[in-house]
Amino acid sequence: MSNDVAVDVRGLSKHFGDRVIFKDVSLQVRKSEVVAIIGPSGVGKSTFIRCINYLHPFDEGSITVLGHELHGTASGGPPPTRAQLREIRTHVGMVFQTFNLFQHLSVLENIVLGPMDVKKVPRAQAVERAMGLLEMMGLTARANMYPRRLSGGEQQRVAICRALAMDPQIMLFDEPTSMLDPELVGDVLEAIQRLAQEGMTMILVTHEMMFAKEVADTVVVMADNTIAEMGPARQILEAPRTLRAQNFLARVLRRNADEEARLTAMGGDEG
Amino acid sequence: MHLAWLYAGVILQGAVVTLELTVVSTVLSFILGIFGALGRIYGPPWLRTAILAYVELIRGLPPILQLFIIFFGLTQFGIDLPPFTAAMIWLVIYGTGYAIEVFRAGIQAVADGQREAATAVGMGFLSTLRKVVMPQAFVLMLPPLTNFVIIQLKNTTLVYFIGVADIMYQAQLGADATEQPGTLYALAAVAYLIMNGTLSRIAAHLERKAAAYR
Repeated sequence: MSNDVAVDVRGLSKHFGDRVIFKDVSLQVRKSEVVAIIGPSGVGKSTFIRCINYLHPFDEGSITVLGHELHGTASGGPPPTRAQLREIRTHVGMVFQTFNLFQHLSVLENIVLGPMDVKKVPRAQAVERAMGLLEMMGLTARANMYPRRLSGGEQQRVAICRALAMDPQIMLFDEPTSMLDPELVGDVLEAIQRLAQEGMTMILVTHEMMFAKEVADTVVVMADNTIAEMGPARQILEAPRTLRAQNFLARVLRRNADEEARLTAMGGDEG
Repeated sequence: MHLAWLYAGVILQGAVVTLELTVVSTVLSFILGIFGALGRIYGPPWLRTAILAYVELIRGLPPILQLFIIFFGLTQFGIDLPPFTAAMIWLVIYGTGYAIEVFRAGIQAVADGQREAATAVGMGFLSTLRKVVMPQAFVLMLPPLTNFVIIQLKNTTLVYFIGVADIMYQAQLGADATEQPGTLYALAAVAYLIMNGTLSRIAAHLERKAAAYR
């Protein structure tokens, strides 16, 4: 494996009981590469990216993350040690669909908790770093508020700060904008785009096709519990080769067109 | 009225005993309850079953029967406990059974996403529990825990039956001696109301403080 590879997934399979979540998923992510995973709901996209930081164990296959090897529970490899998991999770940041900010802590405390608890960063230093991140996101004024006082977009940007405070080398995003009101999506996408420009390695599950086309180097289409097709973003989104990818994209495009038509019609009613 | 003043001191002596039983048994029940709840949620299957069985046993038996088993029943096996000790042991055993359920519900009511987020930044199981899950669980548990303490305080009256000199015991003694049970019971009632009222006030204050982030 070349040093250039950040994440190397080989033959990954996972079941819950006898339900197949995904099977035989293989994927290589280079350093600084941005990979967008798209596909219909319920094909295991979210579960898949949770395997990369081992929030979910998997049955078969292996994942090499920044040189640490994780094995499927059914494939006979040794289970990861606690130290290994801490190492991986320190270097792999994650942002969730539902933000999951710690409700009982202020914005600032949300961000410093990880560095102080896991990396034993002195408080003053952690606070300084956190304030720097908040400033970058334009959230300085929110530092001492509780999460629920913030809008969804603000909460998600705080969640990004919380992940970045650990100085990760890889960032995982699980549908970061799908719980947001449409007018709040832009700020979050902008923040993610800035990270991409700075060369952060990223894997993101998303429903924002335009964003994927703009920001991602590689697009992965997951359908029927496995990877249907992957390749350069533009090629996949504009000229998919497999039938399953074509079907999915056609459905998404039709839905977007319907929505536009509906909006136009509504505008017409008002006018 | 003169009589009430005469007996206020004795009732106060009883109140000290009642308070001692309540506070010590509550603290111990909470500590054991937390461990019980953690074992019940995260422990191996045999432990989960054992704790569940314990909870069912405590919930299933009438309080007075439990107390009598500990104080009278055990004498048959040569275990002769002093009344106060037996009372305390019973209150802890009984309180723990209920505390386990309160803590279990509280811990499980904290959203899974909170644990997931803490795990994702690399926090270990104990850190996550101590710094993320428990602080949120405590806020959720404040109302049932308040209820718990108040009920536990009232449960202490049962120790009267094994001769522990709590409020109830002193009131009964006074009632028998003076033949004015109404006055003595009223005195006891005032003592209980003052204690439980104070508890409610403390709980309300804590809830207001904790509500800041909700």
